[in-house]
Amino acid sequence: MKDEVHTITLGRRGFLQGAAAAGLAAGTMPLANALYAQSGSVLRAFSYADIDKLDPGFYQNGYNVDVMNCIYSKLARYKPGREWEIELEAAEELEQIDDTNIRFKLKPGIMFSGGYGEMTAEDVKFSFERVLEHDSPVKGDWGPLQSVELDPDDKYAGTIVLEKPFQPLWTITIPYGVGHIVSKKAVMEATEDGSDFGMEPPAFSGPYILEEWKPNQYVKMVRNPDYSGDLKPGYDEIRIIPMDDEKVAERAYEAGDLDYTAISLSSLENYKARPPKNTVIEEYPSLYYVWVGMNVENETLKDENLRKAIQYAINVPQIMDAAYFGAAEPSTGLIAPGLIGHREKSLVPPEGDLDKAREYLEKAGGAPSQPLTIDTLNATTWKTIAEVIQAQLGQIGIQVQVNVQDSGSFWTLGMESEGDRWKKMQLVINRFSMMPDPFYATTWFTTEQVGVWNWERFSNPEFDKLHEAALSESDKDKRGDMYRQMQDMMEESGAYRFLTHEGSPVMFRDDLEPALRPDARPLYLGFKPA
Amino acid sequence: MAIYALQRVFLSALIIAVAVTLLNVMLHLVPGDPAVMVLGPRATPELIERTREAMGLDRPFAIQMMTFFGNLLRGDMGTDVFTGRSVTTIVMEALPYTLSLISVSILWAAAIGIPLGAYSSIRRNTWIDRVTGVLSVGTISIPSFVMALYGVLIFAVWLGWLPAIGAGEGLGDQIIHLILPAFAVGVSWVGYIARIVRASMLEVMGESHVRMARAFGLTERRITRAYVLRIAVLPAVTLIGAGVAHLFSAAVFVEVIFARPGIGALIVAAVNERNYPIVLGAVLITTAIIVLATLISDLVIAWLDPRQREGL
Repeated sequence: MKDEVHTITLGRRGFLQGAAAAGLAAGTMPLANALYAQSGSVLRAFSYADIDKLDPGFYQNGYNVDVMNCIYSKLARYKPGREWEIELEAAEELEQIDDTNIRFKLKPGIMFSGGYGEMTAEDVKFSFERVLEHDSPVKGDWGPLQSVELDPDDKYAGTIVLEKPFQPLWTITIPYGVGHIVSKKAVMEATEDGSDFGMEPPAFSGPYILEEWKPNQYVKMVRNPDYSGDLKPGYDEIRIIPMDDEKVAERAYEAGDLDYTAISLSSLENYKARPPKNTVIEEYPSLYYVWVGMNVENETLKDENLRKAIQYAINVPQIMDAAYFGAAEPSTGLIAPGLIGHREKSLVPPEGDLDKAREYLEKAGGAPSQPLTIDTLNATTWKTIAEVIQAQLGQIGIQVQVNVQDSGSFWTLGMESEGDRWKKMQLVINRFSMMPDPFYATTWFTTEQVGVWNWERFSNPEFDKLHEAALSESDKDKRGDMYRQMQDMMEESGAYRFLTHEGSPVMFRDDLEPALRPDARPLYLGFKPA
Repeated sequence: MAIYALQRVFLSALIIAVAVTLLNVMLHLVPGDPAVMVLGPRATPELIERTREAMGLDRPFAIQMMTFFGNLLRGDMGTDVFTGRSVTTIVMEALPYTLSLISVSILWAAAIGIPLGAYSSIRRNTWIDRVTGVLSVGTISIPSFVMALYGVLIFAVWLGWLPAIGAGEGLGDQIIHLILPAFAVGVSWVGYIARIVRASMLEVMGESHVRMARAFGLTERRITRAYVLRIAVLPAVTLIGAGVAHLFSAAVFVEVIFARPGIGALIVAAVNERNYPIVLGAVLITTAIIVLATLISDLVIAWLDPRQREGL
């Protein structure tokens, strides 16, 4: 898959410049203008997983946020399109006054359902501060949030106060999960202390409401009768259908049971050659990153030369052909094209270099006497990757044994809390999801994360320092350089061989116009009939 | 008979308790931390530890099991660690879908398989018998998930006659959504039942009471219906009773392929997520149903044949 060239325009400065220049105001957003209402229409869309949490302050994954986007409001949201941008939603003004203060002013007249009244700055303060107050698992999204101060003269206005600058605020906090605003009155009534309300939203403020959730069947959202904002939903009903396997979704789409679905990379070429009737197929880059990790504290892999031999013996394009049917491109690091900090080239060439691999192996004193193990998830793609690597390392005389594990077992493999399994772990094929800020990628590889999510046990004080500094760096270019350096350090350690960001192809009926993020994540609020 | 029935009920309860305990042991032996799965990657180690305590995972295994059975006696199977919903509610929401699937599957399979086997036995060694034999063995050897995949491709994708996914809403819609999954689960049972009925029919046809009926000049049709089939069908009924577990297994694949809710899909997802309460609750109910089916089958046989009551 070919990633198109993207430019990230979602930094604080970029947003401020854009917002100031355009004089963003209520009712002038592009999405609002573009939204179209049609009565009696139903959108049926595929989702990889069912929802399991509808409290935005405690959200767990993107599948929940897909629904939250429709039923709650945020100060600003991602703008559909091929570039990472945000646009105002519940706020009519949103401005970074200085490094640690962000002033907002809500649009008047946004109503909560169920008679919970109008949304005010008090609700914003409650929504954001409860994430820290109740020790949410995702409180990290709010970084160094200190408080939300209310404007005594304006019930719609307030200031988000940070303890120190935090650049991801504009990319993953305000426009995503914890950025949603809930009704203070409704949540306090439902929970008494403002804690997690789980799966029962006490009030809605978005253009849709959750009418019905049938676990493992569908999420049904319909127009919000109390909605008084300027957005007009494109459909009377949105039905999100969870399925474990995207192949099942592909067949359901072909049978006419879905209007929009993701496509597996293995099916992409077939669909491009023979698309289903009345169908548009689009390819988007993905933010996921896949890599082969090596445990630097393992007795055998302690030797940096052995790790480098493995890095150079792995031929990534061959893996792309075998595991992704040539539909994915090799990656250069953790950070996908289009995001701040993306590297144009990796230090080790994608094809590797068998001569260099042999040189490093010789320096390491030859191949290990016992076969190395490579752990992987029990899915076809991962098993194929592991088998290709097994064959590639065999070319330089390193024997490899593939250990396939179910997800419950795999995702605790390198965790110290799970006993001593991490000590035996050697090679591992890993895949992490990502948000559109580089901080979200490097955060898992700091020293603090060793034995938690940093399974390679890579530890570099310089890396940790850069990670902290980059959180506050407001200059986009400088920040990008910092993340590029960090990825260089990871690769130089010999503990990582970056493989791919995969891809996100989708297909949909030609009578609908989807609204997608640059990584093809659906923004259902903006879906409309074509 | 009453003593026999009581003994069987006690034995059934014991089987359920042993099955659930064994499952719990297995769940604790395999790696995977439910607290990590619940909280996601960004939770702090302190929060993970607190959650483990709240879930009771820090307590000794024996205490966890005693708590589970204690709660069970009060009708409480626990809470889903992700959504906070009652396990009983979740399992009872999924169960009707699986029960309707396996019931309809076995009913249509019996409706086709019994006459097919009977007809085959009456016309034994003819080309009809041979064709029926080949078809029966053919359907037995095709796994249900293969039938499900081809069923979707042919009837949903190519012909567009039936829906490919879901369980439907309202009775009519639910029946339409049930056709393909029930076809996939039931088709191999047509073969099983046809073969069993055929063999049984041939055996009964050679018995003296049938020869006697012929000697009295009864028509073949009457002999078949009144004296042969009623006896010959009993092994098929026993087979169906014993096959409930197999039907549940087949339903797992079919539920995944048709993105259909049900107890199988629920267990698969819960095992992957290390959602212990759901796994235990769902397996408990499934085991109870299988044990109950076997119990009913045994009691019916014992009622029909008093000799069976002697061997527990």
